[in-house]
Amino acid sequence: MALKPLFLLIALLLSGAAFAQSPEAPISSTAERLYATARPRLLQIRTLVSAAGRQSSLGSGFLVSADGLAVTNYHVVSHAALEPKTYRLEYAAADGARGALTLLAIDLANDLAVVRLDRSDVPFFAFDPRAAGGELAKGERLYSMGNPLDLGFTIVEGTYNGLVERSYNERIHFTGALNPGMSGGPAVSAEGAIIGVNVAKQFGGDLVSFLVPGRFAATLVRRAQEHPAPAGMDWHAEIGAQLAHWQAGLYEATSGRGFRPVALGPYETVESAAPWFNCWAHTNAGQVPKPRASADITTCNSETRVFVADDLVTGNIRLVNAYFRALELNQFQFAAFVSQQSQPPWPGSGDKKWRTPQRCHEDFLATAADGKHPALRAVWCARAYREFAGLYDVTVTALTQDSGREALVSRLSLQGTSYDNAVSIAKHFLEAVQWTK
Amino acid sequence: MDEVIWIEVLGRHREVAARHRVGASEVRIGRGYDNDVVIDDPYVAAQHLVIRRDEAGALAAYDIGSANGTFVEPGGRRVETVVLDGDSVLRIGHTQLRVRDPRYSVARERASERPRPVWPSAVALAVAIIAIELVSLWLKETDEAKFSRYLQPPVILAGVVLSWTAVWAILSRIFAGQARFERNVRIALVGMLAYSLYNEAAEYLGFALTWRALAAYEYVAFWCLLAAICFFHLREIGPTHLRLKGGAVAALLVVGVGMQTLSQSELRTDVGQMNVSRRVLPPMLRLAPVSEEGRFFADVERLRDKLDHDRAETPTGASAGDTGD
Repeated sequence: MALKPLFLLIALLLSGAAFAQSPEAPISSTAERLYATARPRLLQIRTLVSAAGRQSSLGSGFLVSADGLAVTNYHVVSHAALEPKTYRLEYAAADGARGALTLLAIDLANDLAVVRLDRSDVPFFAFDPRAAGGELAKGERLYSMGNPLDLGFTIVEGTYNGLVERSYNERIHFTGALNPGMSGGPAVSAEGAIIGVNVAKQFGGDLVSFLVPGRFAATLVRRAQEHPAPAGMDWHAEIGAQLAHWQAGLYEATSGRGFRPVALGPYETVESAAPWFNCWAHTNAGQVPKPRASADITTCNSETRVFVADDLVTGNIRLVNAYFRALELNQFQFAAFVSQQSQPPWPGSGDKKWRTPQRCHEDFLATAADGKHPALRAVWCARAYREFAGLYDVTVTALTQDSGREALVSRLSLQGTSYDNAVSIAKHFLEAVQWTK
Repeated sequence: MDEVIWIEVLGRHREVAARHRVGASEVRIGRGYDNDVVIDDPYVAAQHLVIRRDEAGALAAYDIGSANGTFVEPGGRRVETVVLDGDSVLRIGHTQLRVRDPRYSVARERASERPRPVWPSAVALAVAIIAIELVSLWLKETDEAKFSRYLQPPVILAGVVLSWTAVWAILSRIFAGQARFERNVRIALVGMLAYSLYNEAAEYLGFALTWRALAAYEYVAFWCLLAAICFFHLREIGPTHLRLKGGAVAALLVVGVGMQTLSQSELRTDVGQMNVSRRVLPPMLRLAPVSEEGRFFADVERLRDKLDHDRAETPTGASAGDTGD
């Protein structure tokens, strides 16, 4: 079975917290010294249900300017950004001080937010200039801080392991234990300067954690200082605009990297040559009882996910190329088998909050009459994002219609894409399906 | 000469419940025992009616002073005196009467013929339905064939048809006096075969010609067939009131189709419109020519307008409180 590269975001809903105690790492004297200076600069960021005045989720943050600006993760403040009437933000400092927070700026793609405290003249962290230039060496000690599981502020020692390879959104690979509640906390060098911001850990891995590079945070802080959000800002519009901008960049970069041909049986199709696509193969050859039709399936995932809300993570591109061949099935049975594999996704009625109901269009088409391209049954299904104009989820499924005994099923699933980008990439994929003969 | 008058007491459905032969030129009818025909109906007067010939020689009924009166069907007119032909029905109290004399001419005898047995055709229909179901099941088989799966369609068919027919047979026994089980079975089977054929045709033509409407409106076909079956069952009970029965069946059809159309449209607003064929078939069965790629993408563009319309139409999430600028 393929390794499922799922990210576990660290924002912690207390109701769902699992209090798994891990053995404490030995704390070096550097850590001791760092924590002593960092302590007044650390914050716990709480999201409160306004009506009840109780916390609904917790994260961490850190001060970056004397006038009270702090950086945290967007996913730590997402409730307050999306539903300002229901939720409000509060900070708790290490000395027990509490107060209100105002959201000033967000960077959706890098999961960052800048907030303002209701006080000034505070100590703060500086950004490490080396982090911006990528001058850090693999193996350098990093110290991550935050408030895991609401147990109190902690400092965790770990190592810098460069940028995550083949990731579209730049992330630092940090080998150290990040736990829920530490989201938005700082990761600093031995000198105490910001290298990155805690953001996620790999589900199913040990000590595999991720940081947002500090330069994105520095940029966002500058933006917040120059153009702070007005009071009563509509973050929905801002999120929609950032999503649209981000997906435009992703599709441009993906097309720029081009596509490479893949042969599957007598067919040829393409997959993206962009390095951020992660491809896995799957076959039913070993299945018992012996399968009556063979299935060879390649799944490529862009792993480009953007957190918008607890129930909306978007931005992924997925391409499945599957070659099926009848072994012991007649043509009708094989067609039934292929139908099961090529039906469009049937969304449940649960996701009405973010997306419109799905609409589909089906047709039988020929991309070129040159004898090289088989006829296709193509199904296009799309849903619009209710609050983000111009963004859609699109799934295109193509099934070759040239033989009753073998078939290629290609499915392209695009999340949070503009319609034009979806059409242009789908066109490319439909036209790429051909015979190798 | 001896005059003979027949007095027939009718039941609720105008069947003859009792027949009295009176060998006199005048017949007295009432509840009292001084009458020629005694009627045990508390709403009938002790001396209610007299039947005798009028000046013209026709039989006539004379109400002799009852409180509740005498009525003539059809129409239910209250009368004091009425001239009778052999078919007019008198109502006194809650009792219906018919008066005939020996000159009343009856219809010709019905030719006696041995009815053709119904069961061979019913068996043939059942075999056809089961064959279609089993073949269709086998053609969809993608795993190893399990015998139990192929046993299901005949058992389900038998259960459904027998219980459905039993209901109609009982109704028929109550209202027509005969169960007519075999004929009712045949009606149910014809309906099922038609539905089964429709479904297969919808699937094959839907794929061959991209006629998805056939499958989308399958439920309309279902209700039409159900209504037709009900109509024929009702006709089997009795060939009268066909217009009323047709009306009742049409009402059933309208209610059924209306209800399902409503629930389908609600489902569409809930989870969206698939508009996609449920099953693909071997490519060799395609009849319609393939579309141009450009046309496909033009249709896809039109879909965008619909989606944008959906987005505009539905209220934004409860969270969208503040409006920007």
